[in-house]
Amino acid sequence: MRLALALLLTVLAGPAVAQLRGVEVRVPRTFGYFLGDLVEATVAVEAEPGFALQASSLPQAGPVTYWLDLRRVETRQEGTRHILHLTYQTFYAAIDARSLEVPGFPLVLTRGADHGSTTAPVEVPGWSLGLSPLREVQPARRADPADYLRPDGLGPRLDPIPARNAALGLGVAGLLALVLLARDRAWWPFRPRPARAFADAARRLAALARGPESEAGYREGLLALHRGLDAKAGHRLLADDLDDFLARHPAFRAQREGLARFFAASRIAFFGGSVAEARDRLPLAEAGATARALAAAERAA
Amino acid sequence: MSSLSSAWSRSRPHLLLALPGLLLAGALVAGGLSWRAQATNRDIAALEANHDRPVTTEAPAQLILARVLQLARRDATEAMEPLVAALESRDAPALLARARYALGNARLRRALDLIERGQLDPAGPLIVLARQEYRRALQARPAFWDAKFNLDVASRLIRDFPELDRQIGDELKAEPKKIWTDIPGQPRGAP
Repeated sequence: MRLALALLLTVLAGPAVAQLRGVEVRVPRTFGYFLGDLVEATVAVEAEPGFALQASSLPQAGPVTYWLDLRRVETRQEGTRHILHLTYQTFYAAIDARSLEVPGFPLVLTRGADHGSTTAPVEVPGWSLGLSPLREVQPARRADPADYLRPDGLGPRLDPIPARNAALGLGVAGLLALVLLARDRAWWPFRPRPARAFADAARRLAALARGPESEAGYREGLLALHRGLDAKAGHRLLADDLDDFLARHPAFRAQREGLARFFAASRIAFFGGSVAEARDRLPLAEAGATARALAAAERAA
Repeated sequence: MSSLSSAWSRSRPHLLLALPGLLLAGALVAGGLSWRAQATNRDIAALEANHDRPVTTEAPAQLILARVLQLARRDATEAMEPLVAALESRDAPALLARARYALGNARLRRALDLIERGQLDPAGPLIVLARQEYRRALQARPAFWDAKFNLDVASRLIRDFPELDRQIGDELKAEPKKIWTDIPGQPRGAP
């Protein structure tokens, strides 16, 4: 304790209490307390080894006398020292400074053994507490007796600022995350990007698949995927280059079969002159699925 | 290490998809909380300006306290009691202390008014109740100096007589507490 000063040191002696070496009550100060003040007291009991405080003998929190409450009792043990931290609260409305007696209390120490236990009673001594008046004995005269009282005062308001700052911070972070997502998916304004070439192709194919079926539309869809592959490869990619391309971009290997069918259909459509046959082999929706899978692999790469 | 990085690259698109939604939802929730706090503050300001508006026991603790303080200005102690009891269950010792203190003040003001008019018998229990409220306020918040001051004022109106209680026994305990008929702060005789 900060200002610990030994207040009382009672050494109990004699054969009846041989297990007990001493009881000590310490308080930071014994004077200058106003009503409502908390009073911290520490009781240290020095006992023979093996003894422990009996929990049921500890003082209970609650009123001690009409002017004193015991608010809290905490115990701890340091070797053979048993220490109690007691927090009192005084409600004595003093008119002059005076000392009042804080009553002592009994404690019981026990030592457990196989054939029953040894108990040792301890008497914690009372101590005196110096209480001070808060006001003068005769205050100045007031016309209205209610003027002697302190005013009711005002309560606090809620503080909306932390929640507002959190909302602003999360909002800004959310917009940033949205920008990141747009970049990842090659949405506006991040559209024309070779790193997201398949995203563009997949979008174009999805748009064409929604529209009416036509030869021109089918060709345009195939061309969109071609352009995506060209952009990804960095040069015009033909069917024979596919293995080379997949070796350099292993992320798209899973789509090897789809891509091979796409090149085959493309050859029939553009060089075989039969769009209908090409569409039989590879419907536009399937080309779109391949493009979507490529776009997803591209994002994960 | 490589499996970690591949797991990261596989899950990154999903994370990027989820992140804006989560963050923007959080922003909405926080904005709602802030807006609600401001609405409560407007209600508190209205109560402080003495506009009458009822407050339920479910309201935020600060709003309940503002209503208690408004009722205290009108010395409406009966209406204050359920609200003070509602504050008891909230974890807000400072607000509870202020509410109990205001309730004690309202009771003490009424008692002082009765004493002014010479009605000492009904004033006694009011002072005892006011002292209980101050004591509870100090139990909730020991460093509440206004409550210490007013408890001191109330205690000089009616003092405890523990020695009588202890020595003479039960019959005297039931007797009404002695009341000082003068203004507070002018004690006659030592307790």
